[in-house]
Amino acid sequence: MLKMHNIRKSYRTDTIETHALRDFSLEVNEGEFVSVTGPSGSGKTTFLNIAGMLETPTGGEYLLDGDNVSHLNDRQRSRLRNEKIGFIFQGFNLIPDLNLFDNIDVPLRYRGFNSKERRRRIEKVLEQVGLSARAKHLPSQLSGGQQQRVAIARALAGEPRFLLADEPTGNLDSLMARQVMELLEFINEWGTTIVMVTHDPDLARRAHRNIQIVDGQVSDLQRAVAAAEAATA
Amino acid sequence: MLELKPMLSALWRNKISAMLIALQLALTLAIVSNASIIVQDRIEKMARPTGMPVEDLIAVTFQPIAQDYDMHGAVLADLDLLRSIPGVVDATHTNQIPVSGSGSASVFHNQPNQEIGGEVSNYYETGPHFIQTLGMNLVAGRNFTPADMQVVQPNEDSRTRVAIITRQMADALYPDGNALGKSFYNSNGTDPVEIVGIVERHLGAWVSWSKAGNVIFFPRLVETNFKRYMVRAEPGRRDEVLKAVEKQLAERDPQRVMHIETLAERLERSYMSDNVMVKVLSAVVTLLTFIVALGIVGLTVFWINQRRKQIGVRRALGATRLNISRYFLVENTLIAITGVALGMAGAQIANHFMVSSYSQPALSLPVLLVCALILVSVSLAAALVPALRAANISPATATRSV
Ligand SMILES: Nc1ncnc2c1ncn2[C@@H]1O[C@H](COP(=O)(O)OP(=O)(O)O)[C@@H](O)[C@H]1O
Ligand SMILES: [Mg+2]
Repeated sequence: MLKMHNIRKSYRTDTIETHALRDFSLEVNEGEFVSVTGPSGSGKTTFLNIAGMLETPTGGEYLLDGDNVSHLNDRQRSRLRNEKIGFIFQGFNLIPDLNLFDNIDVPLRYRGFNSKERRRRIEKVLEQVGLSARAKHLPSQLSGGQQQRVAIARALAGEPRFLLADEPTGNLDSLMARQVMELLEFINEWGTTIVMVTHDPDLARRAHRNIQIVDGQVSDLQRAVAAAEAATA
Repeated sequence: MLELKPMLSALWRNKISAMLIALQLALTLAIVSNASIIVQDRIEKMARPTGMPVEDLIAVTFQPIAQDYDMHGAVLADLDLLRSIPGVVDATHTNQIPVSGSGSASVFHNQPNQEIGGEVSNYYETGPHFIQTLGMNLVAGRNFTPADMQVVQPNEDSRTRVAIITRQMADALYPDGNALGKSFYNSNGTDPVEIVGIVERHLGAWVSWSKAGNVIFFPRLVETNFKRYMVRAEPGRRDEVLKAVEKQLAERDPQRVMHIETLAERLERSYMSDNVMVKVLSAVVTLLTFIVALGIVGLTVFWINQRRKQIGVRRALGATRLNISRYFLVENTLIAITGVALGMAGAQIANHFMVSSYSQPALSLPVLLVCALILVSVSLAAALVPALRAANISPATATRSV
């Protein structure tokens, strides 16, 4: 599904050059639920941004569904983001001026669905996240957990195969965090591949696989374990 | 798809700033459209034909110093002299200088013994050379002959029997046409004056007069203590002729005070206030449009900065750069159209007031629509650069900024 090989990403400001990712290689298979952990500043968000084509790598190779996406233009990348990828952010990132219905509608309009199809999908995902009754509410009228569920609904409405979540529970208390996690697990069971960055070790453990990023690379320890597993297999 | 509905509801939540810009546009349209018709009206007014080759004409006014001056003799001698100057087409005496702002007028009737009604007309006392000198076009009848001329003292009751009038005046006196050969009368007058000739047009003394163009010429020389001449030069020789006229008139008779100027200068002075009006209003229109454009640039930049995060999120959710730019341009157009719609109503109300209180020209729909269209375009142009720059906001803004 996702395959990164020797990805590099560096940020250059006037004075310093930060290597956010260095020789970063990783594979995620269809249907997997992968959690990503690591210290702050280690490159987790950078990895997600490149995976979701929000940023382009400085070097290396990134294949999404077997296609090299490095050479796509902005329109093609936007299209791929819209069709294949769902995003969930730590800060929910709902559009404050739009009610829940219209928020979920945003990616569907970019997709070009007609209004009937959009309504069908919006109603379906709102029901999945248990917020059908709130369709006309503004984000500010909801709790953080509810907002994150709307954000998940928005990410799901386009039926993406790949869900990227950057600390989706970071702003939630533990009860709400658990609810969101359960929702993600449920979604994954229906076949959506999920990569989730988290700081919460309990949540990280619930994923099929945990990747630790340290200093812009998948940690050596994990690579050693992976190598050992490969050897015994 | 233009996502109008969610856009409108987002706008509704920011209605104060949106309404402020819309109102600014409305006010601008009301002012700009009314100013435009005044400018247009004044430009048309200044572009009216005078009926004369203004650029070739020179006006002379003189006053002798001596008390018992032979005015008639001086006029004949001066005119002979003027016509002999190389480059002069013709010269005539006249009691007033056309388009100068000073002249005489009276009411005339198409029947004797009338007291009310009639038609007011500017009139000149001049001679057989005036058609040729003023470059006018005689469209019917004949010119004055020397026999038509009357030379009278200022207090003498003169009975001028013939006149040449402009076609406009002819149509006013005789709306059915056929004014030639017919007569007109002074108020309460019984002595007929026969219309022996009709000239195509002459603007007359006062360019801003509502009846400008109503002009009558009488073949008469009143021996007042000052006199005026009009001199017509061959095209392109006016300035050279002006110097010669000045020199030779002074040489022939140095004992008089003389003032010589081109008719173009007189005309420019007569249109001075119109000219100032055009310039001031054009400046106001330009400035206002510029200010409203700045306001729109400012608001668009402000809104885009306020919504950086949201733009990043939209990009992450699949918006192309074009989607982002278009969003802001469409939003801007919605505000502009609202403003312009309000402005059209406002312009009509303002114009109603201008027409009734200041007798300004009425606002026509085409002018209003053109002004509205220009303002919408200015608004779009003002939003264009910020909107294009908004498309450069990185999709990573969605995950990076807080
Ligand atoms: N736009 C940027 N410009 C400069 N440096 C950046 C930028 N984005 C991230 N970085 C740097 O890259 C490194 C990795 O950042 P990030 O991927 O956000 O880490 P994490 O998500 O693991 O906390 C950090 O050192 C961060 O400061
Ligand atoms: Mg991060």
